[in-house]
Amino acid sequence: MAIKVGIPRGLWFYDYYPLWKTFYEYLGAEVVLSRPTNKQILDMGVKNTVDEACLPVKVFHGHVIDLKDKVDYIFVPKIMSVYEKEYICPKFCGLPEMVFHSIKDLPQLIDVEINFNKSRKNLEETIYKFGYYITRDKEKIKKAYEKALENYSNYKMKLRNGYLPIDGKFVDFNNKLDKNIRSRIAIVGHTYNMYDSYTSMNLFNKLKKDKVDITVPEMIDFEIINKYANELEKKMFWSFGRKLLGSSMYFAQVQNVDGIIYISSFGCGIDSIIQDLFERNARKQGKIPFLLLTIDEHSGEAGINTRIEAFLDMIEWRKRNEGNLSAHG
Amino acid sequence: MKNCYLGIDVGSVSTNVVLMDDNKKIISKIYIRTNGKPIDAVQRGLREVKSQIKEDINVKAVGTTGSGRHLASTIIGSDVVKNEITAHGIAALNFVDGVRTILEIGGQDSKIILLKDGIINDFAMNTVCAAGTGSFLDRQAARMEIDIKDFGGLALESKNSVRIAGRCAVFAESDMIHKQQLGHNQEDIIKGLCDAMVRNYLNNLAKGKEIAGPVVFQGGVAANVGIKKSFEEALGTQIFVPPHYDVMGALGCCLLAKEHAAKGNKTKFQGFDIINSGYDVKGIECCDCANMCEVIEILRDGQLTARWGDKCGKWSDLVKSDIERLA
Repeated sequence: MAIKVGIPRGLWFYDYYPLWKTFYEYLGAEVVLSRPTNKQILDMGVKNTVDEACLPVKVFHGHVIDLKDKVDYIFVPKIMSVYEKEYICPKFCGLPEMVFHSIKDLPQLIDVEINFNKSRKNLEETIYKFGYYITRDKEKIKKAYEKALENYSNYKMKLRNGYLPIDGKFVDFNNKLDKNIRSRIAIVGHTYNMYDSYTSMNLFNKLKKDKVDITVPEMIDFEIINKYANELEKKMFWSFGRKLLGSSMYFAQVQNVDGIIYISSFGCGIDSIIQDLFERNARKQGKIPFLLLTIDEHSGEAGINTRIEAFLDMIEWRKRNEGNLSAHG
Repeated sequence: MKNCYLGIDVGSVSTNVVLMDDNKKIISKIYIRTNGKPIDAVQRGLREVKSQIKEDINVKAVGTTGSGRHLASTIIGSDVVKNEITAHGIAALNFVDGVRTILEIGGQDSKIILLKDGIINDFAMNTVCAAGTGSFLDRQAARMEIDIKDFGGLALESKNSVRIAGRCAVFAESDMIHKQQLGHNQEDIIKGLCDAMVRNYLNNLAKGKEIAGPVVFQGGVAANVGIKKSFEEALGTQIFVPPHYDVMGALGCCLLAKEHAAKGNKTKFQGFDIINSGYDVKGIECCDCANMCEVIEILRDGQLTARWGDKCGKWSDLVKSDIERLA
């Protein structure tokens, strides 16, 4: 029987899962994903995570619990750095340890360290380490990684074209040709907050229903983001932060959106800085309306809905500049 | 027969009902406590409105707002269901000349709305925490056994404000208790609390925003002269509290309803009869998937009128088809 590798549907999932899924499948393992976030997963996560952690980390723990009795290995890499001289959120760095000490009776964790902070020279060795859990055949691992990269770039291409991985499943948000579009809004934030429809309270589909054309940083050419991010006075050393700040400068410059919604989890250390810088770029430089949505454990959607509705109203009002508002919303 | 517009704001702490005529004159205004029972509050509010009006009226349109706006809408049948920010903004724009900034503090929410050229230009609401809102003041007043109506007045009597931590309601409360145990007098502590709330509001909501005059302070907490004074001190400008500060949301709804009716739309208002109907709310936990949604059912005189709370939509869709079948 094939070895089962579980991939939790949380944190880096929306950034990288096609890569690792293809990788392990090519090596002959069966990849099992945890279910999309639901109340049970959230509850389990909250119960089994240190209290200080942010919502997405708690959700991640829930996903690990969802997988633990179904698989032989759970994929929880220790992601320190994916780009030179940059880091990922400190909670990612300690994730395997956090999971290991918080949850009992776990299968073995695939907790290889990914650290390209100094250089990418150790890339090959890192890949082998990931593969050794399934096979010792170096050639095969290499081949699997090539395949995985190929699939991964296809995935990113799809994102670029407006197919967004809501809960890991592609949903078409490429509605530029639709004539009924009311406004164009950028949704920004960490991918695990945005694309998890449970924690984001279905923000994407709500906006789609309201005839809003959505754009996200993932739809912007990576090189453009980097070009803008390089204009920062000081290098942003968090990879996620660099991406967000680069896109904020892009939006402010290009002026192709009517508003920006930033979705952030309560208590996020990175967002405490990035969100503020982002807001300054968008609001002050770009004069683009900006809305911050803070998410946490609450399941009542009234607060989020009120803010979204008011934001859409305001944008429409600003656009038309006349007191002609829709009756609902 | 006089044409009227009804606006209802169902908030966490208070429910407000306003009846306005064609000339934007307020015929009746009711401010009552929601007391955790929004349906009952709407019925009570309408009953009071009905007892206040002597002449024959014709309700041309109805608007609802507040966190209970959807609930209220299903009960009375409203034409406009609007978020609080838009409703508050529209009310202030219509009743205060040239308003540029609206400070609004309600029961659970606080908001800042910035206006420019007669439209809402920017807004912010408090984040996940409800520290520094009306319900917190209520709680503190109750703890000190002071009538909330006298709370603000006491702050004005203070000669030496005490510093209270304002960032978090829990910290604020323990800080107040510490200061009280040190022997500080009540007025100074209350004044300190007002200052703390204003400080928290300005640091949190108004952060990075340009507060231009005229500044309007509305929402239930605007009744608190202590908070108003603290705002004036902190901003160094005069704060204007409009005459109907406590029902501005409902007032905004009247205006929106009027606009709606002016377009020739017929009202969905179910009439004042609903005050005699019996409403039941049933909550069920759907166990069909791991989301375990808390579904709410609203029954009017035993008949299902609305259902919501599910993520997948199968319960709320069901009621739609039920009603269609009945029709």
